[in-house]
Amino acid sequence: MLEVKELMVFYENALAVNNLSLEVKEGEFVGIFGSNSAGKSTLMNTIAGLTLHLKYREERRGGERITILGRLKFDGEDITHLKPVDRVQKGIVLCRERHPIFRDNTVQENLQLGGYLRKEHEVKESIAFVFELFPSLKRRRNQKAGMLSGGEQEMLAIGLVLAARPRLLLMDEPLLGLSPVMQQELVRALKRLSQEKLTIFLAEQYARPIMPLIDRGYVIENGTLIVSGSGKELVDNPEVRSAYFGM
Amino acid sequence: MWVAPPLKGGSNKIMGSDALIYSVLIYGLVNGAVIMLTSLGFSLTFGLSGVANLAHGGIYLLSGCLAWILLNTLGLPFLPAAVITMVLAGLLGAGVYWLVLQRVRGLALSEMIVTFTIGIGILEFLRWAGFVTYDFNLPVIIKGSLTIAGVIVDYQRLLVIGVGVLIAVLLWFFSHHTKIGLALRGMAQDEYTALSVGIDSDWAAALSMALGHMIVAMAAIMILPLGLISINVGYDVLTMVLAVTILGGLESTAGLTLASLILGYATAATGMYLNPQWTQVVYLAAIVLVLALRPSGLLGKFKELEERV
Ligand SMILES: Nc1ncnc2c1ncn2[C@@H]1O[C@H](COP(=O)(O)OP(=O)(O)OP(=O)(O)O)[C@@H](O)[C@H]1O
Ligand SMILES: [Mg+2]
Repeated sequence: MLEVKELMVFYENALAVNNLSLEVKEGEFVGIFGSNSAGKSTLMNTIAGLTLHLKYREERRGGERITILGRLKFDGEDITHLKPVDRVQKGIVLCRERHPIFRDNTVQENLQLGGYLRKEHEVKESIAFVFELFPSLKRRRNQKAGMLSGGEQEMLAIGLVLAARPRLLLMDEPLLGLSPVMQQELVRALKRLSQEKLTIFLAEQYARPIMPLIDRGYVIENGTLIVSGSGKELVDNPEVRSAYFGM
Repeated sequence: MWVAPPLKGGSNKIMGSDALIYSVLIYGLVNGAVIMLTSLGFSLTFGLSGVANLAHGGIYLLSGCLAWILLNTLGLPFLPAAVITMVLAGLLGAGVYWLVLQRVRGLALSEMIVTFTIGIGILEFLRWAGFVTYDFNLPVIIKGSLTIAGVIVDYQRLLVIGVGVLIAVLLWFFSHHTKIGLALRGMAQDEYTALSVGIDSDWAAALSMALGHMIVAMAAIMILPLGLISINVGYDVLTMVLAVTILGGLESTAGLTLASLILGYATAATGMYLNPQWTQVVYLAAIVLVLALRPSGLLGKFKELEERV
């Protein structure tokens, strides 16, 4: 479904993603692991088109700071130069790092905004699904999103992108800053999404809570691919094991 | 900008103190409505795209001149002239965004310098083109006047109050209860999150500029008939709008309304008891005082904006 081919992203002269090639197949749950500044967010933002948007913005202002090389393909079609909006239209939706939401809007309005590109009946359907997945959001539907707790904001951030009806859901460190209980709750939700045949590509620093869910995983360091393989292969690799699984 | 009428009986000193109080009460409200209607376009654009459009005064006056040309040179009837003026102002807003603002998007200072320069450019162009004499004025929509508690108020001023309230309500509804309005506000809050659910940021910002300009044009067509079209009006409008937005805290309709009323009464009172020339002093004093004592405005709150994908 998603193919990343020889992707390189430079900020100024610093290489954030180095010659990365990877693939996510339809229906798969794929993880990508790496420590701080490994290039996870850069990769996710590049797949979603946000890095390209930033690059164009900076070029309009007269700067040339970001360089993107390589190819991105979705369903066999080249999307390297597509605008973020067109990628969302195709079903590539990113839930960004640190659970961003529209803080001044209510929970319900946030979900409606998430479904901005979708038809009304589809949005209704997805909102019902989100409320089923996260019942506590339903209770707070008319509350301002900025007033929710961190955990609820993370649920809303996920609800927001689910309302956009992704076919490929990209997630950048969804577990960041959550308590173990909340992490479990979220893992449960992710499992459910995966069972619903949603294709998920997820980045995390710490792989352990995600491990039971993934079909395959990649490990990157300084933007470079270190190892890849099935969940079991990753756990069996001693270096990876100590660095990303805390075992 | 001073929009209260010449007082009956000439000098203020001749009026009884009761009549003066009623005048202040009524004209405070009128001034408040004028100030609100004038500022709505600015506040709309800012609330929906975060652009502080300092070309406001220029656009206000340009719209007045356009309407004047359509009415007097081309001889169009009032309604078509008004609609065409608003459409042209809207197109200018979208054009300014696509041609210039897009390049400096997100750099608040550059955005302000660009719009400020455009505003001054328009005003000085109009001065050069000869819109400086006192021959230019727009027709009132309804002639005649009404006496309320011994104070004469003409229908046009009442109309300004009505239209001001109506537009404020409509805009509030638009930005809080329509899909496009919500999307635009979402954009203003967090551009990258809006982008990641499929809201196109350039389109949204261009639309908010166009809408803001259309409302400014409408305000000009409603308010300019109360006085003359002169270049100074453009500069005065800019000071007024800055005073309102700083006092009202930039993006809430309630703050805007409150600020307009406060400034409306302050200018009416100083105008009646002292001298209309104090109007600008009131605006400038409001700006300085609010920035010194309560920089986020009377009802405002601080927003921290970070930029990182
Ligand atoms: N907008 C930017 N401008 C300049 N450098 C950037 C930018 N975004 C990221 N970088 C740099 O690119 C490298 C990779 O950053 P990235 O955010 O992709 O890492 P990450 O794996 O997501 O890290 P974390 O786990 O801390 O979120 C870092 O060295 C970072 O400093
Ligand atoms: Mg990151």
